[in-house]
Amino acid sequence: MLLAIIVAVLAAVIAIVVIAAALAVKANRSTPSVGATKGVSQLDTVGVGTSPFERRTSARAARDGEVTVGSSEDPAAAKKPSDGLGTRFAAVGALAAGIFAVLASKLWTMQILGNSEYANAAEQNLYTTVKTPAPRGCIYDANGVPLAVNRPAQAVLADPEVADNRDVVRRLSTVLGVPVNVLFQRIKDASGGAQSLRVLGQDVRLRDVAFIAEHADAFPGVTVEERSLREYPYGALAAHVLGYTSNVTPEIMENKTEGREILSIDTVGTAGVEATYDSYLAGEHGESKVMVDANGRRISVMSNIDDSKGSDVYLTIDARAQYVADRALADLIAPREGVIGTGKGCKGAVVALDVTDGSVVVMSSFPTFDPTNFTGAFSQDLMDKYNSEEAYAPLNNNVVSGQFMAASTFKAFTSLAGLEYGFASESSSWNCTGEWDGFDTGVVQKCWNHAGHGTLDLYGGIVNSCDTVFYEIGKAFYDHGPEGSGDLPDTALQEYIEQFGFGERTGVDLGGEAVGLIPTPAWKAEHWRNVPSEAVWRGGDYTNMIIGQGDVLVTPLQIACAYAGVATGTIMRPHLLKEVRNSAGETVVTFEPEVSRTPQVTEAHLTYVRNALHDMVRESHSVAPLFEEAGIDAAGKSGTGEKQDQNDTAWFVAYAPFDDPKYVVACVVEQGGGGSDTAAPVVAEVMAELMADAAGTSTVTIERVAGSPGESVEIAVDSGGRED
Amino acid sequence: MAELPQIHSVHKSQRALDSRGSHRSPGRPERPPLVALVNWPFLLVVALVVSYGLLVCWSAVQGDADYSFNRQLAGVGAGLVIMTVLWRFDYRRLANMTTALLVINVVLILLPHVPGLGTTAGMGARSWIKIGMQVQPGEFAKVTVVLFAASLLARYQGTLDDWREYCKVLGLLLVPFACIMTQPDLGTGLVYMAISAVVLVMGGAKARYLLLTVVAGVAAIAAVFAVDELLKYQLDDGTWEYRLLKNYQRGRLLVFLNPEADLSGDGYNLAQAKIAIGSGGLFGKGLLNATQSTHGFLPEAPTDFIFCVLAEELGFMGVVLLIALYAALIAICLSIARAADDLFGMLIVMGVVGMWLFQILENIGMDVGLMPITGIPLPFVSYGSSFMVVNFALIGLIGSVWSHRSIQGRKAA
Repeated sequence: MLLAIIVAVLAAVIAIVVIAAALAVKANRSTPSVGATKGVSQLDTVGVGTSPFERRTSARAARDGEVTVGSSEDPAAAKKPSDGLGTRFAAVGALAAGIFAVLASKLWTMQILGNSEYANAAEQNLYTTVKTPAPRGCIYDANGVPLAVNRPAQAVLADPEVADNRDVVRRLSTVLGVPVNVLFQRIKDASGGAQSLRVLGQDVRLRDVAFIAEHADAFPGVTVEERSLREYPYGALAAHVLGYTSNVTPEIMENKTEGREILSIDTVGTAGVEATYDSYLAGEHGESKVMVDANGRRISVMSNIDDSKGSDVYLTIDARAQYVADRALADLIAPREGVIGTGKGCKGAVVALDVTDGSVVVMSSFPTFDPTNFTGAFSQDLMDKYNSEEAYAPLNNNVVSGQFMAASTFKAFTSLAGLEYGFASESSSWNCTGEWDGFDTGVVQKCWNHAGHGTLDLYGGIVNSCDTVFYEIGKAFYDHGPEGSGDLPDTALQEYIEQFGFGERTGVDLGGEAVGLIPTPAWKAEHWRNVPSEAVWRGGDYTNMIIGQGDVLVTPLQIACAYAGVATGTIMRPHLLKEVRNSAGETVVTFEPEVSRTPQVTEAHLTYVRNALHDMVRESHSVAPLFEEAGIDAAGKSGTGEKQDQNDTAWFVAYAPFDDPKYVVACVVEQGGGGSDTAAPVVAEVMAELMADAAGTSTVTIERVAGSPGESVEIAVDSGGRED
Repeated sequence: MAELPQIHSVHKSQRALDSRGSHRSPGRPERPPLVALVNWPFLLVVALVVSYGLLVCWSAVQGDADYSFNRQLAGVGAGLVIMTVLWRFDYRRLANMTTALLVINVVLILLPHVPGLGTTAGMGARSWIKIGMQVQPGEFAKVTVVLFAASLLARYQGTLDDWREYCKVLGLLLVPFACIMTQPDLGTGLVYMAISAVVLVMGGAKARYLLLTVVAGVAAIAAVFAVDELLKYQLDDGTWEYRLLKNYQRGRLLVFLNPEADLSGDGYNLAQAKIAIGSGGLFGKGLLNATQSTHGFLPEAPTDFIFCVLAEELGFMGVVLLIALYAALIAICLSIARAADDLFGMLIVMGVVGMWLFQILENIGMDVGLMPITGIPLPFVSYGSSFMVVNFALIGLIGSVWSHRSIQGRKAA
């Protein structure tokens, strides 16, 4: 630095000396003789006189025809041309002085008086705060089995302006292997905000990233950033519980909760616990103060606050049992390459709860998806397939969002209603002929056993799932209702059933929960308001409802919760969160079990129904061996929902151990056939695994679960008739 | 040029008179004192300004591959050679070459229009020619414009009091301006105007005429805007295109009037220039530490906005030093002009004074928001070897005026 100044000064001095010397040498040599110089007054040119540099001999001057004439003027009379222009010289001088003064004073005001303001502006130019996305917390099962983790991935980002540069887009297309028009689409997609960097490639190979970095000049406006992407070690395992993350969209920005900072570079949980516990999982953005140039390129990092990974969420899920359930459903419904229709049914769900605290230990839904497909390169093909009708909505969580007819699983609650209202007792008995027309309408309602069960009491009605017994109880509700004696409201049965949580959300910590439906006269009038003939509340509505058919809709989770209520007398709020641990490994949140509801049930009635459910499992020729084999003393109920022109909906729900209930497991398979045949084996298998896991004797190894391909073949209708 | 008035008198060669009276035997060399041939204060100030300018330029071009400091040094080297040649050259030889100078001017300025020779660079103005390297003939024409204006006015012997002659002179002085506006290059055109104006004033034009010219000039500018408003036409994309002033020129004028109007284009340049200057403070951020230019916030830092680099790096003290050097340079030039023997020589010096003053005012003035933004380089500091050579040529001419003044004048001085 100093050297440069010295060199410059020296160079200047040397230059001056050399020039001066050159001039001096020339001047010394010049010897203009008197005779050689010409008299100016004779010349027709203006101002040309002699030069001190000129060296002309008289001979040479003579040759040139120059004549020298002496001037007669007195030297003293010589006038300078500037003599008469004093004012104008003064004016120019004043102008110059004025210019310099104005400039200097203006600079004074800017550099001295306004310095701090401009210094701030320069600082603002120079430093920018850059926020970096933080990796999300991981998701584990109750035992610490990782369900969703992170892996580093290279994302290629571009300024929106890159769209103006076709060459760059073409080069990127070659490197990333993405068609040019797709890249243009991605650049034009302003969903992350008009000025946001556009993600052109999310999980780019290191080789390609290195190429872009090496040829940065060929890719103006293109940057590469390391992002962390979700990785799911077991694929589709518990996919509906985990949900998935998405890039930020304007809707997400609009709906974000207070205190949650979302940048367009983030990924946000949009389904499953990724969404529910997004605020725990999302980390703190890293913040660095960087020095940038006018093009926004980083020059150096001034200060840096590292991003901190989000907290880890531990779920109540038992990954091994979950795996068993996921596998069982997949094997049952789509045994061949995941194509629905190659097995039994079109969709299904398994849910298992810890009845003591409401922990959801298994939540399996089929068809399913691999959340991996929602990270990195997003396959539109697969998305289109999933949105088609033949995929049977793989993204839908059938456990909480699927609504199914309850079928005979409902009978546990309707029999309790009958007992409570005195329409049935331990001593009452009915005769089942297989057909029933209690209302004398001529429309015969059938028991599933068309041959009839003969004479049986309520206990037998539950164990054998005899419809006739329940038709009678339903009729009793009708007879005591407004159409009959009038001592009961026409919603007495419904209100009793609703004590177990039907027709209401269970409050599980997942979005998109369905309510289900317990039909009431008001609902029916509203539903059929355009068809008045159908809108009338009839006796048949009771008899349909009481066997869980007709308009009754429940979610598998509602059934599981309600059976937990039967098993223990209280219903805990189902939940998936076990605890939250921060990045230091400290437990910061622990889920506190809470009682969701306590049905008003006479203990004796409850015991009566429990025993009947116990015997149902023990005495059923198809169900009993399943649980016996596994050494499980369970109580449960099958259900088989009938729908015209479709296979039956298979249900089975059981809780165990009977003496000291721990788990309740429910399984539904739409169009799966009979409940005992189709659903009960799944329930038994899952229950066995849960018991083994609790006892520490499980031998299951969790493997990767495949997502459904979104394909199906036509489901053959098996008109075999119902067999509860 | 035949219509130009006859010369009524010529100055005597004082030198000839002097030599005759000095009773020296013919043939013996006369030794004019060295100190009289070289104006040492002038040379010293020039050396300081050039060194200071090189230092700032060196700092400004660091880290920018588009500029080469060696080219700037080469410009200084070539300039020194040309300066020395011109210093020794008797400027009076050019005195009655008015017509030739006018022709040279026109040819030089119109050169970029020659197909195959002219190229456009920067704003799309045809200001450049390619002869091995890119040069701007309009820059070199500054020398010939000075000479042309001086020789034109010198013919009137300091009294231009006939309004028809005045109009003729005015018309001839506007020729180079008209030529440069075909490129178009308003900045250089304004420099020609500044040279012509000072030469006109110092050439003895009647004060009333000058006043009328200023009034007429202001009226003409107003008229240009008014007529432009009438002539404008709409383009296909809905924007208006003007015929007389380019849109960017209008934009610069409007930005000058209202700097906040356009913070991305010219307004951005102005804002960044002001930030650079203001953030310099009293002593600056130190050489090479100008964040505004090194990080690209300041556009064209080594050329048009080099003053900002100086102001940012060396602060108010550095700026005042430059202004002081300029002031000294102008003051010395004024004294040389006063000492000149003949009107031609005096007008050459004053023309150069006018040019430097205007370029300094415009270049620094635009940086601080006092003048509209125009691409005019800062003498001796801005990057650009063409202009560096031009400045050295002008120094050479001034030196020639000093060296060729009469002995008597020297003795008196």
